[in-house]
Amino acid sequence: MLETLRTAWEALLERLLFLPPFPEQLDSLALFSLLLVVGLLLGEWLHARAGWPKVVGYVLAGTLFGPTLLGWISFEALAQARPLADAALGLLMMEVGRRLDLGWLFRNPELLRATLSDITLSFALIFAFAFWLIGMSPGWAAATAAVTMASAPSVVLLAIEDGKAQGLVSDRIMLHTALSSAASFVAFTLVLGIIHAEHSTDWLNAATHPLWVAGGGLLIGWLGARTAIVIARRLPKGSLAQVFVLVASALLAVGLARMLAVPVFLSLFLMGILLAAGDRQQVLRYTSLPEGHWLLAIILFVIVGASLPWQEFTWLTGLQALGLLVVRAAAKSAALAWSGGSLPLPKRLLVGLGIQPLSATAVFMAYEIAALYPEIGRSALALPLFAAAIMELAGPALCQMALRRSGECETTTTQAGGIA
Amino acid sequence: MTQAIGEFKHSAPLTLGVELELQLVSRRDFNLVRGATDLIGSLDYDGRYGEIKLEITESMIEVSTQPQATVDGIAADLAGLRDTLRLHADRNNIAICGGGTHPFHHWPERRICPGDRFEALYQRYGYLAKQFTVFGQHIHVGVTSADDAIWLTQALGVYVPAFIALSAASPYVDGVDSFFQSARLNAVSAFPLSGQCPPLADWAAFIEHFSFLQACGIASSIKDLYWDVRPKPEFGTVEIRVCDTPLAIEQAASLAALAQSLSCWLLRTRPELQAAKQVYVARANKFQACRYGMDAVLADPAGPSQVPLRQSLLDLLDTLSDDARQLGCEHWLNALRPIVSDEAGDAAWLRRRHAQHNNLNDVVRDACERLMPRSSDKSWENIR
Repeated sequence: MLETLRTAWEALLERLLFLPPFPEQLDSLALFSLLLVVGLLLGEWLHARAGWPKVVGYVLAGTLFGPTLLGWISFEALAQARPLADAALGLLMMEVGRRLDLGWLFRNPELLRATLSDITLSFALIFAFAFWLIGMSPGWAAATAAVTMASAPSVVLLAIEDGKAQGLVSDRIMLHTALSSAASFVAFTLVLGIIHAEHSTDWLNAATHPLWVAGGGLLIGWLGARTAIVIARRLPKGSLAQVFVLVASALLAVGLARMLAVPVFLSLFLMGILLAAGDRQQVLRYTSLPEGHWLLAIILFVIVGASLPWQEFTWLTGLQALGLLVVRAAAKSAALAWSGGSLPLPKRLLVGLGIQPLSATAVFMAYEIAALYPEIGRSALALPLFAAAIMELAGPALCQMALRRSGECETTTTQAGGIA
Repeated sequence: MTQAIGEFKHSAPLTLGVELELQLVSRRDFNLVRGATDLIGSLDYDGRYGEIKLEITESMIEVSTQPQATVDGIAADLAGLRDTLRLHADRNNIAICGGGTHPFHHWPERRICPGDRFEALYQRYGYLAKQFTVFGQHIHVGVTSADDAIWLTQALGVYVPAFIALSAASPYVDGVDSFFQSARLNAVSAFPLSGQCPPLADWAAFIEHFSFLQACGIASSIKDLYWDVRPKPEFGTVEIRVCDTPLAIEQAASLAALAQSLSCWLLRTRPELQAAKQVYVARANKFQACRYGMDAVLADPAGPSQVPLRQSLLDLLDTLSDDARQLGCEHWLNALRPIVSDEAGDAAWLRRRHAQHNNLNDVVRDACERLMPRSSDKSWENIR
């Protein structure tokens, strides 16, 4: 069949000058869009049949068709799709940053205590596990802790939106996720210097790389936020034009971050925070991402699924990753149970459960650090990458369970006795 | 399950109680949020100013004052309840505002509060229960006898349009200007036992009427009567239920002053009632007040004639001033005059804020500031 087509094509090629050579393989963009549809269908099917979070379906589709298993997404296609993944992650991180309400910490100082407990306990216990039990060097143990200490903002955001969850548990899961992400980005920036110091005799990189990342992220975030506010000020609040400006400014920031080798997730998270904090006249406060941002999630998680290094899996690393996740879960649950303040203990534990996801930002952070010294970094960060890989599948389910158990998800038509 | 009406509990005359249904909104976009159960669950409050309790959906909360002899007492309780709520709402990252409707919420997103009574209402009324996420002020006036309660219920029915127009604070529904001053009552009208109390001569007639409703299976308890004004035997009061929740508690106190001084004047002078004729014009008059506010033109069945509400209200405030002075609430009553004469009502205020911001999120944000001004920041006073 294919041979017949090829012969016919080549016969035509002699007479039709405009025809390109017979396409030997599917264009990577076309292939990728097909995979997105498969990811979407898989996510919807798992959600409808088994009640699983849709994100799990997207990750599974990426894993199945990625380089490790079927190989339909090659490493080249994955590299070509990276700008799309960056844009998707960037937009979601900006949204998480916009939702970080720092004023709430002042109105309820118990929250500050809880989040500080989560951050310090998670980092300390994961570092101790990686350093003493696994035997990593201090630098790579710190990198492991920096990468895995926080929850997954994109997963949590999508789980809350998917379940239309509203209430104290949902709000606190979102707040602690955003704050722990901020802390992990700070740790990540510092770790860059430590890794350079461990592996290079030139102190210049150790001193300037963290400054480049932190300063660059702040500058790009500020520039994106100012651009958005200055232009949007001239447009009606909440209008489609404002949505366009918001998305375009975010994509500008994504592009700048890529150009300057500053992590996209950090720059866009900072842009979101600066947008919320600097928008004193509520210019963009009520402007939401378009409904289509679910498409971004599919792109992001299919790519993340395809990027997971399953080919390097060993049972030992798998067990170590499970150990890390147990330690991390204990740290987060203990922190919230001990210092969650006025919330009743069962709800505090649900918050602890809801902040368990570990996903795209961790994977991207690990790859950023590993890329510094690829010959050692890749193997040194196999542990957090496998932990992230496991939590790509378990994390969304845990977060969804916490939201459902809290009773804060919107009830469906059938559950509500016929009323939506 | 039907429930017999108990004995009418006699109250000290003209004592007051006020209930306010308030909106729980998100600090992020000022849409309604589901937070009532969490908020009540986290309350650390000894009840000194009255009760704070759930209403039918998770985006509402009801506060009710202690019974008070004076409007000053009501105002103090409302201030105490407001400050208590502010403290706990701040901790839960929730904002609270007044107004009769939320201007742009989407009713299918509302959730019925846990509890047998709320669940029964939901099963009985279906989507109407969720659409009942509207916010009113109820004013209780104490009466000394059950017969007086029925007489005052009939007498106050004539003044329902006045209470509606003075409290109107719900011009926006589903994100659009409804052209009504009070659109809230349209949500109440859908319920089968809403409307006015039928002409009844005394308490015995009321009991007979209610037994008839029970026998027909129309009502099981007195809570099923969503009348504009109804007797409340367990409190020994007559309850006025047509007001929108005002945007500020001071306005709520002024409406209580009107209820108290009007009841005082009615019980003192005992004007002849046209209860039978009033039935024919009550719905039309209520519509006029909801739709046009102070510009309503009311039907007077005694004339019969048409009467401009604005002029009749100014006359009424003059008439009540002596009684208000004796009750110590004249200053509260006089605060209503600008609403009548200067278009200073809450519906007009909301429309002005919308004209200024050109979006309803900021209107709700301003409304939150108006209900809960920071003690160190009196800028809300200038908003008006």
